[in-house]
Amino acid sequence: MPSSATLQRTAAVECRALVKQFGETRAVDGVDVDVERGQVLGLVGPNGAGKTTLLRMLLGLARPDAGTIALLGRRLDTNDPRLPDGVAGFVEEPRFYPYLSVRANLELLVRLDGGGARPIDGALERAGLARIARQKAGGLSTGTRQRLGIAAALIREPLLIVLDEPASGLDPAGARELRALVRELARDGVAVLLSSHDMAEVEDLCDAVTILRRGRVVWDGPLERLRAEAPAAVRRLETSDDARALSLARKLPRVRIEPAPDRGLTVSAGGADLDRLVLHLAVAGIAVRRLEVEQTPLESMFFTLTEGPR
Amino acid sequence: MTESVAAAAAWRELARRRVGVVAVCRVELRKLAAQVPLRFAAAVCLVAPFAFAAMLRVQQAVPADTLFGRWVHASGFAVPLVVLGFAGSWGFPVLAGLVAGDLFSSEDRYGTWKTALTRSCSRFELFAGKTAAAMLCTVGLVALLAVTSLAAGLLEAGDRPLLGLSGNVIPAGHAAGLVLESFGLALVPTLGFTSLALLLSAASRSGIVGVLGPAIAGLVMQLLSLVGSGEVVRTLLLGTGFDAWHGLFASPAFDRPAGQAALVSLAYILLLLGGAWVVVRRRDFAGASPEPRRRWLAPGCWGAAAAAAAALLAVAAPLGPPTVTAGRLDAAITPAFTSLAALQQRELGHELGGRTSMKVLTTCSRRGASTPYRGPGDDWTCAITAVAPDLRQLPLNYDVDVRPNGCYTAHGPTSVGGSTLRGRGAGKLNPLYAFDGCFED
Repeated sequence: MPSSATLQRTAAVECRALVKQFGETRAVDGVDVDVERGQVLGLVGPNGAGKTTLLRMLLGLARPDAGTIALLGRRLDTNDPRLPDGVAGFVEEPRFYPYLSVRANLELLVRLDGGGARPIDGALERAGLARIARQKAGGLSTGTRQRLGIAAALIREPLLIVLDEPASGLDPAGARELRALVRELARDGVAVLLSSHDMAEVEDLCDAVTILRRGRVVWDGPLERLRAEAPAAVRRLETSDDARALSLARKLPRVRIEPAPDRGLTVSAGGADLDRLVLHLAVAGIAVRRLEVEQTPLESMFFTLTEGPR
Repeated sequence: MTESVAAAAAWRELARRRVGVVAVCRVELRKLAAQVPLRFAAAVCLVAPFAFAAMLRVQQAVPADTLFGRWVHASGFAVPLVVLGFAGSWGFPVLAGLVAGDLFSSEDRYGTWKTALTRSCSRFELFAGKTAAAMLCTVGLVALLAVTSLAAGLLEAGDRPLLGLSGNVIPAGHAAGLVLESFGLALVPTLGFTSLALLLSAASRSGIVGVLGPAIAGLVMQLLSLVGSGEVVRTLLLGTGFDAWHGLFASPAFDRPAGQAALVSLAYILLLLGGAWVVVRRRDFAGASPEPRRRWLAPGCWGAAAAAAAALLAVAAPLGPPTVTAGRLDAAITPAFTSLAALQQRELGHELGGRTSMKVLTTCSRRGASTPYRGPGDDWTCAITAVAPDLRQLPLNYDVDVRPNGCYTAHGPTSVGGSTLRGRGAGKLNPLYAFDGCFED
């Protein structure tokens, strides 16, 4: 594609002051999003934060009430929201024509993309669907449909790919393959914008994160900065004497400890402070029976940003 | 060149790769061909005429209450016209619903709107491609029905000449052309019903409404055409176009109804497709489903509006000059009887020396009706006086059933003979026993 060189120098996504209102509710409220070429941006937020609505507007499925969207340097015309070539993706669960085979679905989508020699076989192979290409799409599991959604995006030879919770419905092996695929796409210079609930997935895949809460951006920036600003991990601690352990830990600086709702204790402390706590417990004759991460630092940050008072 | 100018130039280059309506149409045709309703409709169009012809052969009875029905064993060209008569009553609206009634709503049912709209085609291309596919399928199915019913008729009764609606004998080649032309005329209102199915499918997002809607609309239009005797509402009804072919078989042929039907159908097509496009263009695929109560609000409003329109048309049905008048009936029956009497005599082996040698006078009126000289009904009586060249007069009273579309069936007295001829023409239908005709409204 001769335009690629120019497009490579252009931001993949530039959204400014996007607003989408449903009745009295502002699902998206003045959101700015930027994704660079080769960047993987995670769009994170609890249910109802406006992630899917934002992605629908990016893909031309919903008209913004205000604001602008530019994809690969081209401003999206809300009156004729034709998705530009080079942009692909899906929102929510990808859906297909159930009475057609996997391959026939992709063949039709290629025609809707303007035809030409599109890499259907390659996309089927990369999405792990080559063996079931003749199977009717109606009988596919949620995870396999998810893979087909990814194949349907890949045949557009995207420069920007938008994925809405792509690992949802995939088994662990499928999720691992998906992550490898996203990394590979990013290495090839494809911009990836993915929404997710799963902070571990975001931490594993993304270079940058935008956190939404009730339609607004509450944090955005590189993942390193999020890590640096994140509080310590929250751990579950179970000991031979939780009451004494609680009393002892409360005397230590920079250690936050509370009784857990069911049993045991929840501890939040940095690495050195946690080591000191464990040593103190041992010296006091209290055995540590269980110590495991309950919330990673990013999860803690996520909950702080999305559940705390605003 | 600045970055933004370069990007714009690049996009212009990409924009050249437009998908186009033809590509979308081909996609939709492939989708339609893979689905049961279209296959079922095609199978019916392929098999039903032959099944009908086989049934006629087994039963020996004829559908005498349908135009050309009494001639199905006499001419192979009568069978496709009987099929066309049935299809125009309810078959074509059902066909239109099957083809187009689920075209937009199936995208909602399968959740595939977002799949289609996140490709390179615009909304207009999707809409136009779907519409073109529905229209092409409709044309294909009507053409298939025309060909199969003509073939079934020829197999059943051969290519003997057809008796027209003015008692005129239509030679085989001309009759075949007229049969195909009749199906062509019926295609135009059928495309109107296809447009209605597309609108219902897009607006209601329900396949049931889209598939059944045109059939119900067709029935309502038939009822409306029976309610009043005025010409205005009848002309404005889409279903009236299904009768436009009658004029082709009269002598002289009249084509005003065909022209009117084409204009009315075109207006329906433009209005209905315009409405469907507005619905699709304005729709937001934001994923927020309305509350259950609101979900039924829009279809409810549409239903109420349709019922109100039907009621309004029913009230307005008597408006305008009447379609059926005694003068028109007299003028139609006189030449028909003259031609049929000449035909009867020829079949019996009598030489009359041409139709000009017999004069026919006809006077029609209704028995006991409040409007004795107008309006459809089965209570018409036509007093026909045939004056032979030797001035011998033969008075005959025919009971005539006149339908709102300007077609009639005349049943003769016993003095014209039985349903079949005796003597030299034995076994042949007696053309004066009962005959059908149509007059221009």
